[in-house]
Amino acid sequence: MANTACFIIVGRNDIPIYEAEVGSAAKREDAAQLHQFILHAALDVVQDLAWTTSAMFLKSVDRFNDLVVSVYVTAGHTRLMLLHDSRNEDGIKSFFQEVHELYIKILLNPLYLPGSRISSSHFDTKVRALARKYL
Amino acid sequence: MIGVGKMKQYSNVLDKPLSKGKQEVSLSAFAFLFSELVQYNQTQVDNIAELERRLEDAGYAVGSRVLELLCNREKGNRRETRLLGILSFVHSTVWKVLFGKVADSLEKGTEHEDEYMISEKELLVNRFISIPKDMGTFNCGAFVAGIVKGVLDNAGFPAVVTAHFVPIEGQQRPRTTILIKFADEVLKREARLSQ
Amino acid sequence: MAPVGPRSGDAIFSSIDRVNAELFTLTYGAIVRQLLTDLEDVDEVNKQLDQMGYNIGIRLIDEFLAKSGVSRCVDFKETAEMIAKVGFKMFLGVTASVSSWDADGTCCSIILEDNPLVDFVELPDTCQGLYYCNVLSGVIRGALEMVSMKTEVTWTRDALRGDDAYELQVKLLKQVAEEYPYKDDE
Repeated sequence: MANTACFIIVGRNDIPIYEAEVGSAAKREDAAQLHQFILHAALDVVQDLAWTTSAMFLKSVDRFNDLVVSVYVTAGHTRLMLLHDSRNEDGIKSFFQEVHELYIKILLNPLYLPGSRISSSHFDTKVRALARKYL
Repeated sequence: MIGVGKMKQYSNVLDKPLSKGKQEVSLSAFAFLFSELVQYNQTQVDNIAELERRLEDAGYAVGSRVLELLCNREKGNRRETRLLGILSFVHSTVWKVLFGKVADSLEKGTEHEDEYMISEKELLVNRFISIPKDMGTFNCGAFVAGIVKGVLDNAGFPAVVTAHFVPIEGQQRPRTTILIKFADEVLKREARLSQ
Repeated sequence: MAPVGPRSGDAIFSSIDRVNAELFTLTYGAIVRQLLTDLEDVDEVNKQLDQMGYNIGIRLIDEFLAKSGVSRCVDFKETAEMIAKVGFKMFLGVTASVSSWDADGTCCSIILEDNPLVDFVELPDTCQGLYYCNVLSGVIRGALEMVSMKTEVTWTRDALRGDDAYELQVKLLKQVAEEYPYKDDE
């Protein structure tokens, strides 16, 4: 399992709608902020890259020291972004695909406002379980 | 109960699998529901433009969800990046799933570079509602225009989408045209990607 | 010779025009969403959904009677069965069942196995009092009123609120006998 893994879901207006630290290593105090910063820096790269391919999984789009940013862009341009030190590309792709399906179910709820924070604790539990399984 | 299927219980809604899209309801059930949507919104507005906008908003909510659902289920998670691709997705996939058939036609506007039209001889939502004369140009197709807008906007192809009645020679009922006018940024990007 | 019986729900459903349930489900979701935004208060939304259902019910009954070939049921028990077996099937494509009859035969439960109004709906904390499917109670109440049965329809189980099914209690309050076109006294 990845030591460091920070996962965020960014809505169309570039505002995060979900965040989770899913790595196994002990957390640095400022880890969350650092991770947010790195992921946000990657957004511009993602934006351009997304238009060059019809694939949703964009693999690694940016680097920071030994950390890599991998991204998955959905049809509605919601970005699933993972900051990680793992090299398990297949695992990462599977993780993204399964989270994507969960996201669609959240979206199908008419009482969920697209672009708003995902507050479902079930979603959080399942995402963390998927991270343990695939990353 | 013997012979009766029991509803499968899921501990949480996220455990339930995504539908395969095969379930159906009667057309009349949809017609009754849609009619209530229109009538309710009529009580909330002062004019036709506002009524159309509210129907469009309701459609938009449907479109934004349909985009994600259908790309995942019908298009093998393929994300459209080109104009004709997304239009084709709307005209064929979205129409087929929601209305049971692909749209009658998809045409490029002759006068403006940024305009496209999807036309339907008898748009589903206009089949069972007759517009009273005092409502002028009001078109329930505004709901469908909203669905299209929801799909296009969220896919990264912002556009102004409106529904219009177009009288056809020799036909008693006009056909409905969904007019799509893409934002500048879409055309600019298309040009860039075409190089 | 015995008269031809009413058509089964399945037979009617196969013979009528149908649409993808997702269009229906998503449109209903948009309606509920719109009501919540406009009315803000969950009780008001419940009322509005019931009213919409009522408006639908009073019109839907004609189609029901015409397509099912059923002559007006005088018996409330028969009526409940028709709603569950034929009504739900021909409009929503799903079967319901009837149970929990009281001793008088004036009160029963209609239980929905499958509910096309609902797909991935989860009530947020702010909407805990919402009866998301309240349109159904209005439809039943409105339809029955048109066949001279005044009823009270309430939810006893709601899967969105943690129950294991959708259950509506239908209570017959008053049944007006079939009226002849010419009244002796009035």
